[in-house]
Parts: sequence; C-alpha cells; structure tokens
Amino acid sequence: MPTVVIASPKGGSGKSTTAILLGTELAHAGANVVMLDCDPNHSLTLWADRAPLPDRIKVLSNVTESDIVRTIKQHDTDGQIVVVDLEGVASRLVSRAISQADLVITPMRATTLDATIGVRALQLIAEEEEALDRKIAHAVVFTMTKAIRSKQHSGIAESLAGQGVDLIDPPLMERAAFSALFEFGGNLRNMPAQGNMDGAIENAALFAQAVYKRLAEGV
Amino acid sequence: MSDGKAFNIDLGRLKSREKDRSPQAIEKAERAGEELGFVARDGQKRRGRKPSPRTGQVHAKVLPGISEEIANEAKRRGVQQGVLIEEAWALYKIKSGI
Repeated sequence: MPTVVIASPKGGSGKSTTAILLGTELAHAGANVVMLDCDPNHSLTLWADRAPLPDRIKVLSNVTESDIVRTIKQHDTDGQIVVVDLEGVASRLVSRAISQADLVITPMRATTLDATIGVRALQLIAEEEEALDRKIAHAVVFTMTKAIRSKQHSGIAESLAGQGVDLIDPPLMERAAFSALFEFGGNLRNMPAQGNMDGAIENAALFAQAVYKRLAEGV
Repeated sequence: MSDGKAFNIDLGRLKSREKDRSPQAIEKAERAGEELGFVARDGQKRRGRKPSPRTGQVHAKVLPGISEEIANEAKRRGVQQGVLIEEAWALYKIKSGI
C-alpha cells in the first residue's frame, strides 16, 4: 500500500494538520492508516495523546533519521496506508523519507515566503528522481487559505501550475476545527462543534478524496 | 453535522510501488539532498559505555575470604563491587540510626 510523505522545509506550513486530516479522513473512508511522527516537536503524538485514536489509525512516535527507512518498509504492507509527518527543516531525514514515497505532498501557505522555501522540497524531489531513476509523484496543497482568494495566492498558484506542479484541489482552508484537532484529538466527526463543522468536514473529505484519487491512479 | 462516509476506499486500487531500499540507493538520495542543504541533523550518539556515576572511592582492605565473596557476589549480580558496598552502607546507616 502506498506511502504518503508530507514534506516542506518550512515550519508552520501546516504539515501536521495536513497529515492528521488526511489520515483521519482516509481511515474514516475505510483504510487502515499508520502515521509516522518524525517531527521533534511531536505534533502528531500530541494530537494522538489528546483522545482515543479513531478506528483504523495507528501512530508511531519518535521515528528518526536512523530508522525511517526501516520503519516505512515494515509498515508498507498490504492493507494499510503509511502517512509520514516530517520536521519543518531541511534534513537528511527528509531526503530519506522522500526516497521511499509513493506520493509527496508539500503543504504551503499562499505566501511568497512559504512558496520560496516550500519549492526547495520540490527541487529535492526532482534531484532524487534523477538520482534514483524513478518517478516520485508529488503535489502541493495550499493551507490556511481564506474564502476570498488573495492576489498573492493566485499569483503563486499560477506560477506553480505554469511549472507543471500538481496542485491539489480543494486547498485546506483556515478553519477553527482544523486547529482544534490539537486541542481535542480524534477526528473532525467526534470533536465538539468548532465554527462551520460541515464546511470543515467537507473540505477535509474532498482533500482526502483528491489524494486518494492520485494514489489509486498511481499519478 | 455530517457524519456519513464522504467516499469509500477501494483498497484493491491502492498499490505500493517497488522502491530501492539498498544502502547505495539511500546514499544516492542523501547526496542529492545534501547539495540542496538537506543534511544530517540528528545528534550523533556517543558510542560505548556511558561513564559511571560512581566517582567516589573508598580505600578498604578486607580479609582474603571476604574480598573473594564480594567479588563473586558482584559478578553473580552483574554489578560493580561498589554497589554492594553502597548497599552495606545503607544497612549500616539504618542499624546505627545515622
């Protein structure tokens, strides 16, 4: 089953939120999901400790540079999807995880700074594709977007699309429910209402569906 | 609030691709990353045995049979002889009300 690596060297780009939304929505849709917390800030583990984990989800903490390849290999088996949440720095751990990915998702806020730093993940993927002589599917998802799209957002999206970068639609909007996952744990469906819950659930589910489509089609 | 499944996953459609996990392939990926600043950041672990916290020293001469017994008991338990002296001292303190 596929390994999805969430990678961006930019801190605060929404990697852990993206990983949790993807993992919980895929599990809700029927997949077994193993989530690897490779971030020294332990964001996934903090979320996992808040409440009992939703059905079909397992979280492994403290995965490091020395055991990332072995851990992915161990769980990259039939019947489960592996989601890897990486640290927000440029490190060898990131290189190793990407080398084992079926799909790399780079979360990016729609700002020039995020785009400039986030693009380094795309450059790394391109270099690894060449070094390993294998295509590594990758896509960008904009995070913390607003209902009204800014000119900056449009400009960055246009520039990335122009370079052939796959942009996941829908983007993940800025929603109270998404950040509240770290307060309540679990998934969007079992937390106390935070703002527009239907909108948040729909957004997360459509995002996960878009990722699933890429995995199923072997993009 | 919506609670239904937004979509169903057909697990049969999800396939993992063959990946080269050999040390040579990982090294190639690392080399590609290093050129872009993706370098080792995990702290290097110290090799070998950790230094003992037992830095105090006593200067004790005991009868030959006793030294042999202490050595054998420490060996049997897999501890340093100093551990036995610490335990004996703890008992002595209790007995003497120190």
